[in-house]
Amino acid sequence: MPASFNLKTLAIAAVLILGLLVPVVIEDTYIRHLFIIAFIYAIVAASWDLSLGYAGVFNFGHVAFFGVGVYTTALCAKLLGIDPWIAMLLGGAAASAAAAIVALPVVRLQGIYVVLVTFAFSQLVLQFVISQSQITGGTQGLVRVPTIELFGYNFLRDYKFGYYYVAFALLVISTLCLRYITRTDFGLSIRALRDNEDYSLARGIPIGLQRLKVLMASAFFAGIAGGFFAIYLRVASPEVFNFSTMALILSMVLVGGTSSIYGPVIAALVLTFISEGLANVNGLSEGRFMLVAVAMVLVLLFFPKGLISIIDRWPRGRGARRPD
Amino acid sequence: MTMDMVSAILVSGLVLGSVYALMASGLSLVWTTLGIFNFAHGSLMALGAYFAWTMSDAAGLNLWLGAGVAVAVAGMVGVGILIERTVIRPFYDDKDILLITVMTTLAVMIFLEKGIQLLWGARLKQLEPLAPGRVNLLGTTISAQETLIVVLAPLLLGGLWVFLRYSNIGRGIRAVGQNPAAAKLIGVDVSKLFILTFALSAALAGLTGILLGSVRFITPTFGAEPLVKALIIVIFGGLGSLSGTIAAAYIIGVVEAVLIFFVGIYWAPSMLFALLIAVLMLRPQGLFGKSVR
Amino acid sequence: MTNPQRALEIENLYAGYDAFDVLNGMSLHVGASERVGLFGPNGHGKTTLLNAVSKLIRPRSGSVRFMGENLEQRSPQDIVAMGLVHVSQANRLFPDMEIMETLELAAYTPRARKQRKANLEHVLDLFPRLAERRRQEAKTLSGGERQMLSIGVGLMCAPRMLMLDEPTLGLSPKLKDELAAAIGKISAEGIPLLLIEQDIAFVLSLVDRMYLIDHGEITREVERGGAVDHEEIMDMYFGGHASS
Repeated sequence: MPASFNLKTLAIAAVLILGLLVPVVIEDTYIRHLFIIAFIYAIVAASWDLSLGYAGVFNFGHVAFFGVGVYTTALCAKLLGIDPWIAMLLGGAAASAAAAIVALPVVRLQGIYVVLVTFAFSQLVLQFVISQSQITGGTQGLVRVPTIELFGYNFLRDYKFGYYYVAFALLVISTLCLRYITRTDFGLSIRALRDNEDYSLARGIPIGLQRLKVLMASAFFAGIAGGFFAIYLRVASPEVFNFSTMALILSMVLVGGTSSIYGPVIAALVLTFISEGLANVNGLSEGRFMLVAVAMVLVLLFFPKGLISIIDRWPRGRGARRPD
Repeated sequence: MTMDMVSAILVSGLVLGSVYALMASGLSLVWTTLGIFNFAHGSLMALGAYFAWTMSDAAGLNLWLGAGVAVAVAGMVGVGILIERTVIRPFYDDKDILLITVMTTLAVMIFLEKGIQLLWGARLKQLEPLAPGRVNLLGTTISAQETLIVVLAPLLLGGLWVFLRYSNIGRGIRAVGQNPAAAKLIGVDVSKLFILTFALSAALAGLTGILLGSVRFITPTFGAEPLVKALIIVIFGGLGSLSGTIAAAYIIGVVEAVLIFFVGIYWAPSMLFALLIAVLMLRPQGLFGKSVR
Repeated sequence: MTNPQRALEIENLYAGYDAFDVLNGMSLHVGASERVGLFGPNGHGKTTLLNAVSKLIRPRSGSVRFMGENLEQRSPQDIVAMGLVHVSQANRLFPDMEIMETLELAAYTPRARKQRKANLEHVLDLFPRLAERRRQEAKTLSGGERQMLSIGVGLMCAPRMLMLDEPTLGLSPKLKDELAAAIGKISAEGIPLLLIEQDIAFVLSLVDRMYLIDHGEITREVERGGAVDHEEIMDMYFGGHASS
């Protein structure tokens, strides 16, 4: 129905314009910073949703792909002197390559073994980064990572005005790409695989290849986000591999609801602000992750389709997206 | 390579293998019985060590260490029951229980890790060894505590095996894991045995933490590394059987000791993972694994 | 309404899976030492009935009484402890457990534990083949042996009443006869029996009375040697296909 289509376009346009106006209206550097971090987490959460939610691959190494992006970009820009924009792309590529390595055993495994291998992989990357301290800086991390430049524009002295737009652009592009991927034949086939593996196999969908592709695609966006994270903060520290980071981003996927892309994006925005807000409360800088953990369990208990699913119950013009 | 070196590698492999076997058997037991994977197992290990520290250390209640151990193990049983009730039990009838409990137990891991940090602080702690002094084992001198681990692990695991094999409740636990519906039909209280199994596994994790807590420093993330090793072990050995898991634990322990000797402590984990991937490529169910549940 | 003469009394039972009912108000009873058959095509609620009685699934409404006692608040393990034992269809039992282990374990409730030794002798007597393979794991057994073990497990529970769900499913005629003899011996001891079967001759040879079931309801009750005979029943359910 064209009416609802217009409504949807209107909504998207409104969000885009709002997003573009934020740094114009808000001059506070810290708030801008929170937006940038939230956009980065949103990319990681939404791309995680592609492999975990849409494809149903029990991928628990997604934060490691993000970390691979962080370190690849930082190392390429700092040690190899590669242009940071290119280095960011390389971060995405390296994350994809890491995903391919993980996919090697994962495509042949099922259920819990996929969880275990991806999880073990993420811990391995962390140990690797820490152990190669002469290159990676070990537990101290890499500092003074060179930052981006655009037509001579200096990103460092504009109170995060420029970074905001780069982060926003990355978020918009990756969200569009992720949405697009889920709507292609490929996107349909990975969902079919998730919902009914036997049937899909019978229909000739190559399960291993599809899982490999979806992991690589999902990791690519996480890697790019990681690359920008390193460029923006100008450090690469092993903290990105923390269980806490993982829990925070996983809670975004859960709160946002799996298989929706938009859901985790919205949840990432909200939760980043809540989480960072709590971090400033005395004594909660670490304790807030306990709250994140409790929130995860509560969401799983009471809103298994994500808090966003409440919105889903609102009337919609077009047929609901949810197949089940 | 001299005999000394062989003995040193073997002994350190045995120590590692014993710790891993204690860790992994708890994971394996919970998996075969409840059909869930407990990511909080490592933090349960840390919690056990902190309990014992508070009970026994001069800065804590300064009780005799034996009493500390007893209280810590009892405490772990309680924590185990609490965890099962709150984050596992509500999902037994859910078809996505596997994925959901991966996430809830991850949440518990974070919760415990941060909770420990808030309660006990980030400063390194260490338990008094249960067995002080040093001992010569196979021509290599190690601490008596490590020897205790090497001796105690097979005893504990043997005890566990006898319990599962011959006691009525132990057999009930196995029955529940193999066929819960059939177990109900002979009058087994499935949910009671689920709790019992989880509590047993938590106690085992706590005990591992206590044993290791006087060899290594206790930190809030003390259990993370053993957990990752236990992960590798259960992937390697397959989650199907306790004996497979225990065998895999000792194999990985010795392999790791060999790798540390030849490629150093930094490269050993990567090599181990590469080995794991190679095994999985050839045998997706692990070396001794059976079909996935 | 309770009748002490009745071992099992089911009234107006509704139960099913997910959103829809398979049982649509089923009512039946089994007398104190009666052998009752339950016959009907697949998918019409026979197994669902037993699952609802033993609480593997939760009935939606209706009542079940065993020896005069309402089972509504009872858990599956309570029901076994009371002596109402359900031997389920094509039970895989515990694949990695040996026969003897399985039988010993099956005497799980306190009451059954007391009778363990005597019951074990009884079972091994009834099924000598189980005694021969006592160290064999359940997964290595043939279909017939597994069925024997399944019934043996039921007997180890010290039943006051047995509900058997298609004990001869997929067995050869020779094995069927063997099992029929064993079940006959069991019920000769006065244990009331509710027997589900697809093989009409088999049921009729073992029971005093039989219910015919259709779409989750009892449609007819047949006394042994009563008016309805074998072919009539086949005709009723399978129409013209009965002869093929």
